[in-house]
Amino acid sequence: MKVRFWGVRGSYPVPGIGTNRYGGNTSCVAVRADGGPLIVIDAGTGIRKLGKEMMSGEFGEGRGVAHLLVSHTHWDHIQGLPFFAPMYQKGNRFHVYARQRDDTHLRAVFASQTDSPYFPVPFDKVQADVGFRELVEGARFEIGPVKVSCTRLNHPWIAMAYRLEHEGATLAYVTDTAPFRDILIEQEYIRQPPRPGDPLKPEDAAKLQEMRDGVVRLCEGADLVIYDTQFTPAEYASKPHWGHSCPEDAIEIAEAAGAKSVALFHHAPERTDDELDKILDECAGKTRLSLVAAAESLEVELPSLRATRVG
Amino acid sequence: MEIVFFGVRGSIPAPGPETNRYGGNTSCVAVEAKGGLVILDAGTGLVNLGKTLMAGEFGRGGGTAAILITHAHWDHIQGFPFFPPIFVPGNRFTIYGPGRSATMLEGILEGQMNPHFSPLYTMRNLGAEIELAAINLDEDEEFIESGLIVRSHQNPHGSTTALAYRLEEDVGAGTRVLVYASDAGYPEGGPSEKALRLYHGADVLIHDATYTPEDRASRMSRGSSSIADAAACAVRAEVKHLVLTHFDQDYSDDVVDALAERCRRLLDEQGGSHIQLTAAREGLRLAL
Repeated sequence: MKVRFWGVRGSYPVPGIGTNRYGGNTSCVAVRADGGPLIVIDAGTGIRKLGKEMMSGEFGEGRGVAHLLVSHTHWDHIQGLPFFAPMYQKGNRFHVYARQRDDTHLRAVFASQTDSPYFPVPFDKVQADVGFRELVEGARFEIGPVKVSCTRLNHPWIAMAYRLEHEGATLAYVTDTAPFRDILIEQEYIRQPPRPGDPLKPEDAAKLQEMRDGVVRLCEGADLVIYDTQFTPAEYASKPHWGHSCPEDAIEIAEAAGAKSVALFHHAPERTDDELDKILDECAGKTRLSLVAAAESLEVELPSLRATRVG
Repeated sequence: MEIVFFGVRGSIPAPGPETNRYGGNTSCVAVEAKGGLVILDAGTGLVNLGKTLMAGEFGRGGGTAAILITHAHWDHIQGFPFFPPIFVPGNRFTIYGPGRSATMLEGILEGQMNPHFSPLYTMRNLGAEIELAAINLDEDEEFIESGLIVRSHQNPHGSTTALAYRLEEDVGAGTRVLVYASDAGYPEGGPSEKALRLYHGADVLIHDATYTPEDRASRMSRGSSSIADAAACAVRAEVKHLVLTHFDQDYSDDVVDALAERCRRLLDEQGGSHIQLTAAREGLRLAL
């Protein structure tokens, strides 16, 4: 299984010299398993360049099939989709998976992104065949030879984590999420966050414990865990209700799950390349897990963890 | 008045070493007038503008600014939810944009903050005070903002329209004129007489120059200008300085260099050799 990063940034894309090495595009990861169709996880701005590369192959001829797993529909995870060239090529087929919503069909959520007055090309003009599959937590399904499962995360409006297994290789994609100890984040807007360490309501504590157990199970024995590490501990302390974690949280979960390696992911938009280098260095001393900071054009092969820079 | 560019890219932010010199952020220009700060468009460039503003009175909740939106395509509003000063109570913003009513304009801006798409849920969760002012598309309007006389005109822009703005500042010995015409997709024959009147005699015309003439020809339905459209407008409207902006997301810095060189030749060929030409880049500051 080959995992290639196309967008590694959280919140919004950040062009500029400070992000040249790790990249400024928002979340997008491509997964290729031998004998299976292309699987793309999240459709931040990184998907634009992935789409250009895909157009040089069968997607350019309208013969491509790909599956898109969406963690949640916040802008930084879907904003590249209107610029994903293979969607405008007749004959291509896409299967989009995301968490089911109480009030709106997934197709409507995605279509409203390109409604007037926000975008010139409405979703009805998309030429490819696009189907939506609404997921509930704990769903298990197969994409060709790849086994997929999902569990919910601690994030405003709720996000989904995914586990992909294929021929002894396992990837876990866990973003966006807050840690599972200080605050329960669901559908409601949280105006005033509790202070980390404040006592929790017992029902919230139980729900968070269940969520954490689900995430640990999802990451169990994974070769690579891609994890939301947007915050430093100081940033988390002032924004626990924003729904993001620190590298320390990723390491704690991955160790509990007996995973082999962690990719720091969903980097804060203001984080420079040099700051990321430093964070990675500091974290490396805190764990025996293999650590990497996700970067555009980085490709990691599973289960060998052989990493190469592509392009 | 002085202007500073924070975002010069069209459609979608384009990070990467190939856009380092001109910048990859979407549309945003700051206009520092004697009477206050006016911001043109709210693409991702707005975030960096916001960071600089936080060092001053906007960081203390004492800031006031107007934001003029040309139209509500993502690349002109997507920076707003990440603009740090909107979270500081006490700051005040007036947002002007196309719409038949302030309620309609509010609905458009709320659309990008609804909880499916944004953790902010609604504009009512922002700390700053935000007033909305719709610019009625049925007529060309004139109003005073931050001491500037503001006029607007709607240009065709693909399946929709985009407002062009003319900002005039009285400097005692005369007036200084800035025109911002992004996302202009003129029909065959070029801009309307009304548009040319709006642009006429500008000290600086910031004009849409998304494409080469060839790319424009193959993407007519997108409703954006080529450098040839920009050059023709500058000559016909007798402006002093043409500034190109809204570059296609796939154009590298080298391509933009070539666009500017080619636009220079087009100006010269059309009797506009006296017109100053600049390709906008992030950080560029111009005094009028």
